[in-house]
Formats: sequence, C-alpha cells, structure tokens
Amino acid sequence: MFKPFGYEPILTKDMLQRQKKKRDKATNMGATLKRIWQYVDEQRFLLLVVLAMVVLSSILQLLGPYLIGRLIDDYIVPKELKGILTILVVLAISYILLSGALFLQNYWMIDIAQQTVYRMRTDLFEQFQKLPISFFDRKQHGELMSRMTNDMDNVSATLNTTFIQVFSSILVITGTVIVMLTLSPLLTVITMLIIPVMFFATRWITRRTGPLFKLQQQRLGKLNGMVEEAISGQLTVKAYSQEQRLIDDFTRQSDELKKAGYWANIYSGGIPKVMNFLNNASFAVVALVGGILAVNGHLSVGTIVIFTEYARQFTRPLNDLANQFNNVLSAIAGAERVFEIIDEPIEKEGHTLPVTRRLDGHIEFDHVTFRYDKTTAEPTLSQLSFSIPAGKTAALIGATGAGKTTIMQLIARFYDVQEGEVRIDERPIQQITRSDLRKQMAFVLQEPFLFEGSVRENIRYGRLDATDEEIERAAKQANAHTFIETLAGGYDHLLTEDGGDISQGQKQLLSIARALVADPAILLLDEATSSIDTVTEMAIQEALDRLMVDRTSIVIAHRLNTVKNADYIFVMEKGRLIEGGERQQLLEAKGRYYDMVTQGAALD
Amino acid sequence: MKKIMSFMGPYKWPAIIALAFMLVELAVELIQPLIIGKIVDEGILKNDLRYVVVWGSVMVGLSVLAFLAGLSNSFFSAHAAQSFAYDLRVALFKKVQSLSMINFLKFPTSALITRLTNDVTQVQQVFFMSMRFMLRAPLVVIGSFILAFFVNVKLAFYLVIPFPFLLLFLFFMVKIGWRNFGIVQRSIDRVNRVIQENLQAMRLIKAYMRGTYEASRFAKIADALKQNSAKAFQLMELIQPILLVVMNGALLVIIWLGAEQIRANEVQVGDLVAMINYALRITGNFSMFAFIIVLFARAKSSANRMEEVLDINETSLEGEMPLVQKTQRAISFHDVHFQYENGGKDVLRNISFDIQKGEKIAIMGATGSGKSSLLQLIPRLYDATAGEVSVENLPLKQWQLPALRERIGFVPQRSLLFTGTIFDNIVWGKQDATLEEVIDACQKAQIHESIMQFDDGYETKIGQKGVNLSGGQKQRMAIARALIRKPTILLFDDSMSALDVRTEKKLWDNLQNERATLLVVTQKIHTARATDRIMLMEQGEIVAIGSHEQLMQQSSLYQSIVASQQEVDSDV
Repeated sequence: MFKPFGYEPILTKDMLQRQKKKRDKATNMGATLKRIWQYVDEQRFLLLVVLAMVVLSSILQLLGPYLIGRLIDDYIVPKELKGILTILVVLAISYILLSGALFLQNYWMIDIAQQTVYRMRTDLFEQFQKLPISFFDRKQHGELMSRMTNDMDNVSATLNTTFIQVFSSILVITGTVIVMLTLSPLLTVITMLIIPVMFFATRWITRRTGPLFKLQQQRLGKLNGMVEEAISGQLTVKAYSQEQRLIDDFTRQSDELKKAGYWANIYSGGIPKVMNFLNNASFAVVALVGGILAVNGHLSVGTIVIFTEYARQFTRPLNDLANQFNNVLSAIAGAERVFEIIDEPIEKEGHTLPVTRRLDGHIEFDHVTFRYDKTTAEPTLSQLSFSIPAGKTAALIGATGAGKTTIMQLIARFYDVQEGEVRIDERPIQQITRSDLRKQMAFVLQEPFLFEGSVRENIRYGRLDATDEEIERAAKQANAHTFIETLAGGYDHLLTEDGGDISQGQKQLLSIARALVADPAILLLDEATSSIDTVTEMAIQEALDRLMVDRTSIVIAHRLNTVKNADYIFVMEKGRLIEGGERQQLLEAKGRYYDMVTQGAALD
Repeated sequence: MKKIMSFMGPYKWPAIIALAFMLVELAVELIQPLIIGKIVDEGILKNDLRYVVVWGSVMVGLSVLAFLAGLSNSFFSAHAAQSFAYDLRVALFKKVQSLSMINFLKFPTSALITRLTNDVTQVQQVFFMSMRFMLRAPLVVIGSFILAFFVNVKLAFYLVIPFPFLLLFLFFMVKIGWRNFGIVQRSIDRVNRVIQENLQAMRLIKAYMRGTYEASRFAKIADALKQNSAKAFQLMELIQPILLVVMNGALLVIIWLGAEQIRANEVQVGDLVAMINYALRITGNFSMFAFIIVLFARAKSSANRMEEVLDINETSLEGEMPLVQKTQRAISFHDVHFQYENGGKDVLRNISFDIQKGEKIAIMGATGSGKSSLLQLIPRLYDATAGEVSVENLPLKQWQLPALRERIGFVPQRSLLFTGTIFDNIVWGKQDATLEEVIDACQKAQIHESIMQFDDGYETKIGQKGVNLSGGQKQRMAIARALIRKPTILLFDDSMSALDVRTEKKLWDNLQNERATLLVVTQKIHTARATDRIMLMEQGEIVAIGSHEQLMQQSSLYQSIVASQQEVDSDV
C-alpha cells in the first residue's frame, strides 16, 4: 500500500461505494447549493448591480489589450504618432473605469456574502432556541459550536470571492470562444476537447474529496468538542493532574484530523493540477496541430500566434473555476452541516389553545410515566399521580435520582410525557403553548447560571421590563443586596465568563432574585438554596414564604426548615410516589415523612 | 509571528521540495511561449514539418512533466502544512494545560477554543497555499522586471518607479488589514461566547422563554461581526484597483515615451512590444497580491493571538521535592492571604491552622466567606498571595505538582463529568484501575446501586456534562472519582449538598474507614458534628476553630447557624 510520509490511506472502498450508491449525492449537493442560493437571492437587487459591474469590468478587461494592439499596429509600427494621444486618453479612462468597477463589484459582493452568512448564522441560532432540550442532551457543545464557527467560516470565505470569479470566468470564456471560432473552427474544436476530460477528471476527484472534506469537518468538530470540555473542566483536570492524559487524547484526535486533512489536501489539490496539465497540454496540441496545418498552408502564422494566446485566455478562467471548486466543496460540506441542524425537528406545539389570563396553578399528574431515553427499561417516573391545588405550596422529597427534578422539568414542558397526562387548571399541558406556560412560571434550577454581563442585567433576565427599583427589591428579598453592594460597581459589577469572582452560594442568591423579579403564577425551586448557608437561607425563607402566598409553588429541598411550611408533601422513591398529601395528614399517619422528621434533622 | 514560524522549521525540507516542484511547473509555463516562437520561426516559416512535430511533442512532454511535478507537490506541501498545524495545535494544548488557574482565567474559554481550532486552521491554510501557488505571483513579477531590464534599461526604469510606492502602500495595507482582522477575530470570540452561554444555559433560557430575546441579542453581536468583517474585507478590496491604476498608468507612460523614442529611432518596435508584454504580465500578477495580502493579514492576526498564549511566562510550579519526612502534620496554613487578582480584594486573610493526619475537619461559614478558595489552595490550584501553605510539613512550592495532587482527592462544588461512559469517568482519577476498584469506590460513594440500575451499568454513556444524571448522582460519581485514587487528603467542597441523610450517613461511615485526612466544606450541622473540629469562616477569616461543643459555647455565629437548623416541626 502506498503510504506517503506514513499516512495510511483512509478513503475506503466502502466509502466510495456508498458515494456511488448515493446517486443523489449530486442532487444533495445541488439542494445545498440551492438553499445557499435562497439566502443570496434575498439581495437580488444588489446582486444584479454586482453582475452589471462584472459585465462592465469584463468588457473593459478585454478592451484594454484590444486598444493596445490597435495602437501598436496603427501608430507605433508605422511610426505615425498623430492621434496617439487620443487613444492613450481613452485607455486611461478605461483603466480608471475598470478599477472602479472592480472595486465596486467586490465591495458590494462582500456586503452580500456577509449578509448571507449573517442570515444563516442567525437562522441557525434561532433554530437552537427552537430545538427540544433532549437534542442538547445528545450533542456535545463544542461540536455544535464548531458548526457555528468553522463551518460558517468556510461558507463566508467562499461567497466572498467565488461568486464573482465564477461569473466573470463564464463571461470571459464565452467571449473567447466566439473569437476563437471566427479564427479557426478546427483548432477551437481541438481546444474544446479538454472539456470532457476535465469533466471526468473533476468528477473522479470530487467523488473522493466530498467524503474527505466531510470527514475533516467532522473530526474538527470532534476536536472542538474535546477542547471545549477540557477547558471548561480545567479545575477538575488540574486537581487530578490529568493534564498528560488529556494531552495524549488531544494528540490522538489531532492526529486523526491531520490524516483526514492530508488526504483531503492531496485529492483536492489534484484538481488545479489536472487543470494546469490540460491547460498546458491543449496549448501544446494547438501549437502542434496548428504548426502542421500551417506547414501545409491551411493556416497563417499570425492566426496561430493569436489563437494560442486566446487558447490561453480560454483555459485560464477554466483553471480559476477549478481552483474555486475546492473552496466550493468545503463550503458545501460546511453548509450541509449547518443545514443538518436547521433540519432537526423542532419542538412541536400540537393543538394548543391560547391562555389569556393568569393561571390559577392547579397542577395534576395523572398516571404519568416518563423515560428520558425511550429504549431504557426502567422508567424515570412510573404511574405517578398527584394533585396540587391552586396557590398551595408542595414539597418534593426523596433520595437523589428519585425523579424530583424530572417532575419539575415536565411541568415546565422541557419534555413531554409518554404515558398519562399532566394537567394545569384542568387542561392537558400539551394544550398550552410552551411560551404561555413558561411566561407564568419561574424556575430556579439546580445549577445556577449567570450570563456575562452586569449583576443588574442578570437579575432582569427574569422580567425584561423590570425597573431598577424592582430589581433592587428582589435582590433585597433574596438577601443578595448586601453582597452586591460590596462588589466593585455594585449592581453594575460585570460578572466574568466563569463567574469566578463570586461564590456558588452567591450565584444561587442571584438566581432566586431573578425568579422573584419574574412575579410568576407558578414557582419552581429545585434545590434553590443548596449551596447557601443556613443562616442566610433562613432570611431568604421568610421572603420566599411571603412570596409563595397565592401562587402554586413546588420546592425540592433537603432541609426540614425549607419544607416545613409546605401545604403538601410528596415523598418519592425510584420514580414512584410512596407517600403524599397534606402535611398534617402525613404527620398523623406516622408514615415515612413522620419517620424522617422524628429521626433525622434533614430530609430526603 | 516568529514563534509560530518556528513551527515550520521541522518541515523545511518537504516545504523546499514542494517549492522546487512548483518552480518546475512555473518554468514549463514560462518556456512554452519560447518554444512556440521557435516552432513558428524554425518550423512553419521554413516549412519543416519534422521540426514542428518534434518540438510540438516536446511541449506535450513538458506538460506531462509539469503535471507530475504538480501532483508531487501536493504530497509534500500537504504533509508540511498538516504536520505544522498538528504540532502547533498540540503545543498550544500543552501550553494551555500547563497554565496555572490564575493565568488560565485570563482567557475566556471561548477565546481559548478559537485559538486552538480556527486560528490554527487559518495559518495552516496560508502555509499550504504559499507552497502551492501563492509564491508564484511574486516570482513572476520579479522575473518580469529582470527580463524587462534586459530588453531596455531606460523604459524598464519607468516600470520600476511606481514600485517603491506600491510596496509602501502594500505595507500599510497589511498593517491596517492585520488590525482590522484582529477586530474581526474579537467579534468572532464574542459570537462564540454567546453561543457557548446559550448551550450551557439552555434550560434557563427555555424556562424564562428568552429564546427570542437571546436571538435578538445574538443578532446584534452577529451584526457587529458582519459589519467588522465587511469593513475589513472591503478595505482590502482597495488594493487591486489601486495597483491596477498605478501599473496601467506606468504602462501608458511607457507607450507614450516609447513611441517618442521610436520616432527618434532610439528604440526598436519589437522592444517596445516586449516591454508592453512584461508590463501587462506584472500587472496581471499584481492582482493576485490583494488576495495574498488578505490571507497573510488574517494569518498574522491569528498567529499573534496564538503567540499570546504561547508567550505566557509560567513560572515553573515544579519544586525540587526533597524527601518527604515522616510527620504527623497533614496540612498547615501559616498567615495566608489570598487575592484572585493582584490588588483585588482579600478573599482570605490571616489564615493559620494545623491539621494532623487522619483528622476530619469541617469548614463552615456564610456564602462568599472564602471556604472554596481556602480549599483550592491546598492542591495548589492557586498560589497564596502571602503566607505559606504546607502539606506534610513541606511548603507547597517545594512539591512536585503531580506528587502533591496524587495525594489529594478533590471534589469540586460543581461536579463536572466528561463525555464518555460512567466507567471512563470513574477511572478518570486513576487510569489503571480495575473493575473491582471501580466498583469498590462506587460502593463507598453509595452510587454503585444506582449505576447497576442503568441498562448498560458501568458502560452507560454520559452526555455533555452528565446531563442525564440527577445532581446527587453526579455528586456521588465525582466522589467515587476521588476515592478511587486512595488519596491521603480528601477535600470535599460542599459536595454532599444534594445527598439525602441516609446516603450521606453511609458515605460518612465509609469515609471514617479511609484513613485519609478530610476537609469538608458543608452547610449542615449534622455533617459538621461528625468531624473532629469545625473551622468557622467569616469574610475571609477564620473566626473560630473547635469541636461542636466548644463552638456552641464560644461562638455566637455558630449558635445562630445551629439555631437556623433546629429542624423541629412544631406540629409534631
């Protein structure tokens, strides 16, 4: 086997076979191109202007040499200099116009390209927002990011230059062929012979580069994913001195990428070389055949000289086109990966009715069974039924992994149940749009997340039209005000990317403030105070208790103090409800909850 | 730039060979017109058919030669470029891994990611293209200039006059371009940042229905990227038209003056025609320059950004590591102060204490009192700003880092799991661990049974950051990951917050049997009571140390914490 520099060939027969079988590869590519075109086409007017400029500059490009030829033939050779100034002035003007046209066509084309990429990028981002949570459970963040950056970059780079190149090449080729035909039809046919060869050679190569480019982008995406994880988890990496192992891992994946890149380079590099060869060969053949014809008296010397020049003019744009072909290929590979995400099924709403008033918040679970992954045998929740009357507070308790968080995620419709029904105000939850539902809900998640931005902006995230006073009031209620005041800049303090300058507990305080500012009908608190010390928590608890009046609240907590003011208690175990009801009743029944209260100082 | 260039060094020979092949191609291209001339002069005009056929065939043969040279070029240039990128990428990754947390935090995550991927690709591409065709344009220009001087010195002189100005112009364009593309890159970083934030906080965004808000926020940033890129590229588009105008102007001057000289019989017609040809060729190749400059400007700003990372001067963290003496003292802090940023606020102040081997210590205090920071000083994730931290009586600066961290099992507050199977994640702490060891660690961490309930048991795949697991499950896996190392010091940063009492109790019992020194940050009094001593922190200082009973008597802060956890249900 041929192994240059030890690069094992990675293009398998199997891959090629698949390519062949996928006869619609071309239509696939065509479809991708068409979709890119739809974006470009949104700026049809500007595009037409650019095309007009390309026509103008192509004509001017041909005019220059023509005028110089005339100048030499008519003035310089006969040494007759009268009138030469006029032609020089005309030339000067045409050169200036040419430069102007070139500048404008490129200037506007960049606008078009950037706008196209911008549209694709924002579409992709909006798609992210519409995809179900389960999609993100499956995908690696870094890999998704790679589509947004590396792949989009390929598209952008290609659009910037390729479009104009292709169009002007076509113009120049057409013009040249016409002139060539008038000079010598026979030689023209000979020159044209290279076109089918070119076609087959290109097809042979692209059948190989297509999968290779795709593989390269895939491996780049994987590498990106690994880098993202290694860098976000750096603290853990260091604490376990796993640097060397990550480096080994990275080196291995980098090597994979290198291999794919190498072969993609080799095959795609073939296209311009083949073109060059055909270019040179046709030049030689024209000289050879033309020479023979001339010796036999069928052609004049002048014609041969001019014709070879034109033959060059004919093949050069073809060469350009071939060179562009690589860019186009890798751009298509990139665009395909972007469209792949855009084509992912989005969260479906189904038959929903609008919610026009504030929800009461009567929540019911009716024989709900749920699995995150449909193939797992053991469901996360099974045959779960309970009911929380409007305006009441319920606490979910039970061991970790019992399904408490899952219940909250179902209420927020992050996932839809597979069996049974969740109802809010007697309405199946699937009949309420997610936006109507969540607008009336505030959710404090287990892991607090803060955005890069000021403290104020982060709290305001709960309700975008909240005033500064409302934000401050919420912060005070959440007991966050005091520590915010100690930050440099107070509420305008900029939180860094990793929020390294504030503690986990403080992040939770801000998350609670964010929920408070939202003023929801339903409040979901998932371990909202787990990292907060108990003294502070007590102070927040008072505020929360006041807040929970008249809104349905569901709380997951370990500490009795957090739970003891709840109206209802539900004890979960392995996805099942083992005890539930009004707190008073549970205490009187002396069941599991009673045991917990009397035996332990905390609950689960 | 220099440092990045040095990565090309090892591939000098493949690169030179690739260039040589390219020169063969170029030579064939330049020779062809000469042969045509010969065919016309010697063959056609003299009616010598044999001559035509021979030289015509030579031309075909030369094309084949050029083709082979071109193909060979691919193998060498692809190897050089890909290997260069590979080396660079690995070097960057190694550097990033070697950074201390302080230096590490100087770069936002997203910026580091671009440097390791996008920036490398950018420079790699330019290197690759240089070896294949980009050097051709300058070579043709130089060659044409030289030939022009051979034809007619006087006329060629006019061709040269604009040259210095053009070079100056190009120099400025590279500079401006480099700056502009730096701005573009920063916009890309911001775009990446928002994407990353959105991926991380998808649940939060969905819970608050901020999809459209995020989309419009992103649109703004993407718009800035669009504007900046358009500006950078559009400015570069000035290069070609200006070069064309200047060079075409020179051409007209040459024609004008040449015509004058022809009239005065100072110059031959043929010479002038040749001069015009060379001028046209130079102009044609100049237009390639614009393209090349854009690429180089982008590559340069990428290279600089990578060098920012490579250039960080990391004072060696490796100590000399004398023999560790047998000592009863596990950890000691002596008057330690700590700030995250120089001149920032003190996160820790006047911290002094000693911990004996096998002792179990709880650290308590309000949120933001410095508990986590204190813990992170022990595995030397950060260095104390003042004072000294010692492990086994040896100051941290004298430890070899791997040896130090080997002894420590650190469970951070946020349990981050990596993509892979559960097994992979547990043995993460100890690569050569056997399945028995894994099961043992998991049993101790009270997670074994939960794992066995998954369909694939230990082979269950965990997604990005372990999203399929509950908070408590993640915590226990992180604990198992620490236990499998059999560390002599265990640091738990509030890592049992999501565990229920019974599970935590069992876990504690198991920890009692591990003879490790234990420091645990906790909020729970009942956890603290199970330890030997409790350290109470307030605003970066230790305000009290002692057993539960002692603190109950001495510390009002401790009393209030206990009071807050008087978990009495008044209705019982």
